[in-house]
Amino acid sequence: MPVDRAEDNQFEAPDNIDEAALAAVLRVVPLGAAVLAGIAVALVVLGYLLVYLLVFLPRGVVG
Amino acid sequence: MSDRYHETPQHWILRTELLWAFGVGVLVAATITIIVFTALTRNINPPSNVERVDPKTLHLSGEFAEQNLGTVVAADGTVTARIIATQFMFAPHCIAVPEGRLVTLRFASPDVIHGILITGTNVNTMVVPGYVAQVHTEFTRTGELLMPCHEYCGLGHSEMWANVQVLSAAEFKPDRDGRVTCAQH
Repeated sequence: MPVDRAEDNQFEAPDNIDEAALAAVLRVVPLGAAVLAGIAVALVVLGYLLVYLLVFLPRGVVG
Repeated sequence: MSDRYHETPQHWILRTELLWAFGVGVLVAATITIIVFTALTRNINPPSNVERVDPKTLHLSGEFAEQNLGTVVAADGTVTARIIATQFMFAPHCIAVPEGRLVTLRFASPDVIHGILITGTNVNTMVVPGYVAQVHTEFTRTGELLMPCHEYCGLGHSEMWANVQVLSAAEFKPDRDGRVTCAQH
């Protein structure tokens, strides 16, 4: 059986990424993800509230 | 430099995820609060009724026999409409209801699962064979409303619909037996 060498494996090959630069990027990335997801969720909630206030409540009693 | 700057990326990501989870928790709590608030203050609830009926003898006797179908006003003034949903029609095909009064709609099916909604209202329920589907509602505008079957029930499903005629107090006149039928225009 041939032994896998680290440099043959795309996941383990050295990538020459500066750890400090990576840490700096990772400090910002979650903020961007949160803003993007926040906008998406806010739009869904806004749609829900508009339907609730302008369609559901005026249609009145049911049960 | 702030303490946050000295945190590892893993800590920062964990903090963001916890904050997001908290935000989602707030949204879920707000949604549940709105549902409960609406139910308590506006009397808007999901229709719920567990009441058995024998689908095999539906048409022979009892509440859903042919002579009992349609709208009837009881001596105490309560308005009840009884409708059979069957492949591929509603009986009766037109249901007369009053404007601005609480109406009880009762549905039963002798064959397969159907579903109904009344356009422009919150009325929406399944009609399951063996059970009586019951919905209380109040119609706020006069006019003709469409009531289609909204649960696929077979090849004729798209032809299965009825009219709901919302009549003003002047037009909603029960006969001697308390029965009200659709006005002919």
